[in-house]
Amino acid sequence: MISVSNINKSFGEKHVLKDVSLDIPEGETIAIIGRSGSGKSVLMKHLIGLLKPDSGTVAVDGIDINAISYSELRRVRRNFGVLFQGGALFDSMNSFENVAFPLRTFTQMGEDEINEVVKECLAMVELDDVGPKLPSELSGGMQKRVALARAVALQPRYIIYDEPTSGLDPETSNTIDDLIRNLADRLNVTSIVVTHDMHSVLNIADRAAFIYEGRMHWTGTIDELHRSDDQILKAFVTANEYKIGLS
Amino acid sequence: MVKLTLDIVTNPLAAFGRYSRLLFHAFGAMPELSTYRKNLWEQMVRIGVDSLPIVMLAAGFSGAVTTVQTSYQLVTPLIPRSIIGAIVVPSMILELGAVVTGFILAGRVGARIAAELGTMRVTEQIDALESMGLNSIGYLIVPRVLAGIVMFPVLYVAACFVGIGGGILIGDLGGFVPAEEFVDGAREFFQPFDPIFGIIKSLVFGFLITSISCFKGYYTRGGAEGVGRATTQAAVASCVFLLLADLVLAATLL
Amino acid sequence: MKFSNEIKVGLTIIVATLIFILGIRYFEDLPLFDSTYDLVAEFDDAAGLIGGNIVRVNGVAVGSVNDVYISETTGKVMVEFHVNPNIPVTEGSFATIAGFDALGVVRLDLTLGPASAARIPEGGTVAAGTGSDLMADLTAQAPEMLDSVGEAVGQLNDVLAEANTMLATPESDFRQTLNAAKGSMQQIEQLLASERDRIASILANADSISADLNAALGEDGQSVQDLMSQMEETLATLNEDLEAFQETNEQINTLLTKLNEGEGTLGMLINDPSMYHRMDSTLSGLNDLIADFQANPGRYLKEMKLVDLF
Repeated sequence: MISVSNINKSFGEKHVLKDVSLDIPEGETIAIIGRSGSGKSVLMKHLIGLLKPDSGTVAVDGIDINAISYSELRRVRRNFGVLFQGGALFDSMNSFENVAFPLRTFTQMGEDEINEVVKECLAMVELDDVGPKLPSELSGGMQKRVALARAVALQPRYIIYDEPTSGLDPETSNTIDDLIRNLADRLNVTSIVVTHDMHSVLNIADRAAFIYEGRMHWTGTIDELHRSDDQILKAFVTANEYKIGLS
Repeated sequence: MVKLTLDIVTNPLAAFGRYSRLLFHAFGAMPELSTYRKNLWEQMVRIGVDSLPIVMLAAGFSGAVTTVQTSYQLVTPLIPRSIIGAIVVPSMILELGAVVTGFILAGRVGARIAAELGTMRVTEQIDALESMGLNSIGYLIVPRVLAGIVMFPVLYVAACFVGIGGGILIGDLGGFVPAEEFVDGAREFFQPFDPIFGIIKSLVFGFLITSISCFKGYYTRGGAEGVGRATTQAAVASCVFLLLADLVLAATLL
Repeated sequence: MKFSNEIKVGLTIIVATLIFILGIRYFEDLPLFDSTYDLVAEFDDAAGLIGGNIVRVNGVAVGSVNDVYISETTGKVMVEFHVNPNIPVTEGSFATIAGFDALGVVRLDLTLGPASAARIPEGGTVAAGTGSDLMADLTAQAPEMLDSVGEAVGQLNDVLAEANTMLATPESDFRQTLNAAKGSMQQIEQLLASERDRIASILANADSISADLNAALGEDGQSVQDLMSQMEETLATLNEDLEAFQETNEQINTLLTKLNEGEGTLGMLINDPSMYHRMDSTLSGLNDLIADFQANPGRYLKEMKLVDLF
């Protein structure tokens, strides 16, 4: 359970998040949607304490993550797996080492066990044979899948996806969507998907939270989203559907 | 206009504040050896061992050039030629050894650190480390700064060794001063504190170059262009603060 | 073969440490691998000695000064230095500070004691030689020395003045005086010849003063105190010599006076005018004789033939 209450965040003169509140219940897949620059990525970074709100609180499992020490915060973060926009694979390591990295850093596993877990994770993202390849030798979609394998290696309770399908072709996007849904079903994790891709949202999410100009403009289930007559939300959704229709 | 003038004062102050905070965090992360032990060895090789050839090349030439120029400037036969050794050796030990190494490291190591960390920042690799629950400062910055502090004196010793060797060699082969006279002159004016001062200097330089470059890289913003900017700033700022520290150390310790 | 990072780093650090330590020892002029022999000396005045200055034995560099500081208890200058451990620094050795501060080349000269004596233990104290500041000692003694020299020079002046007056006194006619002086000079020369040894010894004594001074300023300089006493002795000798010289002069003086007064054969000769006239008439007689011979050579030649016949 993650609850965000009334957070504000400014960068210099720019007020990015304005009194944003959001509850993310256990086991749910929630999509945080909004236009580029609406503040959804900034909200995502607040969930794991990468950014601190100017006011308001973020509580993970009832713990206010901005009131605890850095080492305690790091312990809380281990419940999270994050898939960053560009994958954020460590480019000095090959794919295998990238996935093995959190295991080596945070567990006492032996090499054999690590080997097994990494293979399992790579198989889950359907990339069994990329282990020895460096991130630079992989395509953007493959990088994201390896990064996803890394994000789930420690079996986190929450997985955050930052624009998982942006910059990918529709087919690869579908593959990623399938993976996200499979993971949510199989591992029973809470998924937070930050995206502007409505196609993806409709495919995978239980609920959606729409951020507009830094405010939490609308939240509700996908069914409610379809039925909503909020003009701004409708405009956002139809713009996306138009794009989908074209492709 | 008023704001601009104010910025000239406040921006460096803010930068210094962030730099201090980064160092403070790095210091706090030092006891967590397990997070960076492997990186430490890696960085010691890349900052120290891999820099040896270029440092030795530059130091060898500066030693040789100092010898040639000193003998060129000694026109009066009243001064014994051994004075060349007495000039070249202390200038190598006190100044050239550390400063030549410092400039090379500012360019070679400082720029690389800033580019590395800058790229990791703009591609969210640092965020990825943090999101895993890792102390990114401990993991990335501590080993680099420690490697700088440990390996810079090693490079300094190598620079002095090769520089003085180059001076003796060119003095003897070029017919400026025989090796024995060179060494005699150096011994006559040798102060045991000089190399200690050089080591202190190189420790400070090693710390400054790596910490400034880490600071510039760690707080990079703005994509590939930002990485380029951070890299240049890291090299320039390292050189400027190296010279400042050089002056301050000479004024306080000599 | 590929080395692990740990081995590369470790090896580099070890090699650098070795170069650093050996390099310092090399430029400190210490044996690269042996241990050193640390000693202490106590001075009143460091005369510009600083850490790093060379320690020499008989002009050979054998170590260097570690540190120079003022003792908190005694207020004296403590000089810590080390030398090559195979240098036999025995009891009776002493250290002196040498060289010129102004040129920045000050060093510690160690004079070794007898080889048979016990070695001074590690960290032990070496006695300080006295030649701590040569020029200062010399300056301190200078007024005394100058007085002595002044006295000697004054006496010399007196002698010369007397000689001058003597030479300047116009006696009878100039030629006579000159002749008299010429004769006198021969006697003076004789006299001086007899006194030559004494004069030579005066000069020798003066020579040895400068020689001693040279030695004192030189590297193996003796104690200046010694030198000063020698100098005083020398000056005393010089004084004696000058007195003797004065005596000689007085003798010359009396001789000249007597000469002038016509005493003695030479004096009579010079002073008796009748002698001159007699000589004159003899010479004129000789002149007449030659004139007569020229006019009537036969008279004389007859007698010559007679002689020839013999």
